[in-house]
Amino acid sequence: MADKILVRENKVRRHSVSVLFVHWAVAISTILLIFSGFGQMPMYRRYMIYKIPGLGWSADFSVTLYMHYVAAAVLMFAAAYHIVFHVLRKEYGILPGRGDLKESYLIIKAMLTGGKEPPSDKFLAEQRLAYAYIGFWLLVIIVTGIIKVLKNLPGINFTGNTMIWVTDIHTFATFMLIFGILAHLAAFLFKANRPLLRGMFTGKVDLEYVKHRHPLWYDRLVKKRAQSPGSRERAANLPQDMTV
Amino acid sequence: MSLLSRRDFIKRTLAAGVASGLVLSGLGKAAEGATITPRGTFYDLTKCDGCKGLKVPRCVSVCREENSFKFPKPAEHIEYYWPQKKKEDWRDKKDLTTRLTPYNWTFVQHVQVKQDGRTVDVFIPRRCMHCDNPPCANLCPFGAQSKTPEGPVIINPNLCLGGAKCRDVCPWGIPARQAGVGLYMKLAPRYVGGGVMYKCDLCYHRVKEGKIPACVEACPRGAIAFGDKEEMREQAWKRAREIGGYIYGDKENGGTSTFYVSPVPFQKIHEQLMAQKNKQPNPTAPGFPGMPVGVGNFLDSVNGIAGALLVAPLAGTFAAGYAAYRTMKGEEDHGG
Repeated sequence: MADKILVRENKVRRHSVSVLFVHWAVAISTILLIFSGFGQMPMYRRYMIYKIPGLGWSADFSVTLYMHYVAAAVLMFAAAYHIVFHVLRKEYGILPGRGDLKESYLIIKAMLTGGKEPPSDKFLAEQRLAYAYIGFWLLVIIVTGIIKVLKNLPGINFTGNTMIWVTDIHTFATFMLIFGILAHLAAFLFKANRPLLRGMFTGKVDLEYVKHRHPLWYDRLVKKRAQSPGSRERAANLPQDMTV
Repeated sequence: MSLLSRRDFIKRTLAAGVASGLVLSGLGKAAEGATITPRGTFYDLTKCDGCKGLKVPRCVSVCREENSFKFPKPAEHIEYYWPQKKKEDWRDKKDLTTRLTPYNWTFVQHVQVKQDGRTVDVFIPRRCMHCDNPPCANLCPFGAQSKTPEGPVIINPNLCLGGAKCRDVCPWGIPARQAGVGLYMKLAPRYVGGGVMYKCDLCYHRVKEGKIPACVEACPRGAIAFGDKEEMREQAWKRAREIGGYIYGDKENGGTSTFYVSPVPFQKIHEQLMAQKNKQPNPTAPGFPGMPVGVGNFLDSVNGIAGALLVAPLAGTFAAGYAAYRTMKGEEDHGG
């Protein structure tokens, strides 16, 4: 676990460089894929988007298709990296578990009413659900996308019916993904979630925030710190309420 | 994680890589195995005279009769393609036989080419080339087009939304659009979709039954041969050698199942066709294809990077293996 309490900064390291890389590689490539994918529909000429200054290229299928391929390579690199990296490190904290739906409802209710949230671990229940939702549709898009790439190669031809399914699932999954991304972004309408936003850029979140919202994670971090060699020396530097 | 070794990591990473490779190669194999041999067409342009004396060449008139049951039956009222003030409606031009339209899937072009000091008349029956790797079918965003095992590339009129992308990516701009018909009429016809694309399907209803296309059967001069694609290719090359002529369709767009043999270079034919097109009232209108020699396939550029694309997940797997090993080793060293 790269997560640790950074006493001097009064922060907690929440995300490693690998996690930040994967998040932003997936985010940027997905945005490019959605934009270039809609270009394949074809939409930008019909709806005259290409007349917007700077977007003249958008109606050119050869440009948007090339962009789609390059962005897909980035997405698949990041997706494979993400899965293998966390499986090897046995980090499964973001996978949803039993009771997450109910807990997620309680957290959202608390955010809306100003009530008390149930104690969270490193990830909020709705983050685990959102991860599973977005991850699932991304995988569907990747698998159908690979079949579409193979089909474009000379000498490879799938039956008409197969391609109807593959193509239309690819498109349907994209709409489901867009819905998920909008919900993901809408989470930041809630003030309570905003400290997490900075964390996705810097990898760090405020210690106070962690203590109050992620007490289960905080307890583990404190325990881990106590178990690690040199903890006695470091304990002397801990604020009073963190000494273990 | 104290029992971590470099060898373990390499093993696990390799296993993940091999598994991904197997999935990919398995998919590749599933695509093979068609037992029906593809069909092809050989047009001998030394024989075609455009059915001199007839108002409409026989191949064109029989095509219209044979395929009329597939022609569009659009709604009375057809909306513009919002937000544009246009629609592609050929209802009033159903009788047009001098270009490709949704109601006319083949036509005969006529050019006069100067060769060795004399003028040669060349008549060229035109229709879909039924390409080996058709960008029209591959890039249809709704999977409404496909290449059949017998060779014809066909459009599903019940699924096509008429975006006309297939026409844009076809080097000859073959498919023709009729508005007011098809699936989009059941959705939001004003705002989404544009009709259905129509083109020659090589009389697929006949080919499936082992028959030959109507145009081939009707040609009074035996200028069109239809059969096993490889045989057609051989016949075309043989004929080209015999007359010291030229071949079109073997290499174009990455290979097609239509082979033209002409006594004059296709480059000259193409120039004449372009000159004719430029003299038309609307030179940019589709349906009057040229014959660009050696024209590439729209998918060439992306297929060039497909290898890199398919290797990306493997690269990600190895990078992650390395990164995980480094970080865990680091944590171990520092008692993490």
